[in-house]
Amino acid sequence: MGFIEENEKERKSFVRKWAKYVRTHSDKDWSKQQNVIINSALKSANMTREQFFKMKGETNYVR
Amino acid sequence: MKFIDKNTIEIDRELSELDNFALDFVKILEEFAKYVLVSGYVSILLGRARVSEDVDIIIQKIDFSTFQALYKELKKNNFYCLNAEKDSTIFDYLSDNLAVRFAKKGKTIPNVELKWIKHKFDKLALEKTINVKLPKGNLKISHLELQIAFKEEILKSPKDLDDANHIKLVAKEYLDNKLIHKYKEMLSGFY
Repeated sequence: MGFIEENEKERKSFVRKWAKYVRTHSDKDWSKQQNVIINSALKSANMTREQFFKMKGETNYVR
Repeated sequence: MKFIDKNTIEIDRELSELDNFALDFVKILEEFAKYVLVSGYVSILLGRARVSEDVDIIIQKIDFSTFQALYKELKKNNFYCLNAEKDSTIFDYLSDNLAVRFAKKGKTIPNVELKWIKHKFDKLALEKTINVKLPKGNLKISHLELQIAFKEEILKSPKDLDDANHIKLVAKEYLDNKLIHKYKEMLSGFY
């Protein structure tokens, strides 16, 4: 199995495992863990408008 | 996560920064326009373990004076538009069927990507919503069958396929699989 196939298999497996965790644990429990990912990523996100639009491929979007 | 009925989900979750941001924006928006949340944030709200830098929102078309009132209220609550400052310019974007983005002052992320309904699938999403009850307010999301069909039939990126799979797994007893199939057929003929 190549790297891409291996990566896809692992990704799908994680999605299945995590969805099972969400179904079998309280909302407070899974959301607390999910928030570690979300809040830390948003906290470290720091870019200008121009950088953001460039990243999104929306370079003509500032008037 | 409780699926109360076809149109209501209750999630007693710890709110993320993204949830609070979406709730703050929607609290203002819903006073001026009918709206629906679509795309990646829907799966994140339902527990998907990933982040998104934006929250996609579709709204009904509104006239300029309503938009002016909405924009005034957004500014009053510390939001700004990333695309332009002048209300008429932002309104022109929407009128040209382009999305505009709003964030909290001093930030670019997270932001709301706001657009008008463009076609029959946007209209369908706006008409058939699910009310998600959260500890600090409610959010209206698109019905899940349409979200899954769109991600599996049109978008198809690994991220979108994983989003669709997550929704299918957490809501499996409540989904109408025939409807997902019907939407996929409709979408493949449309795009």
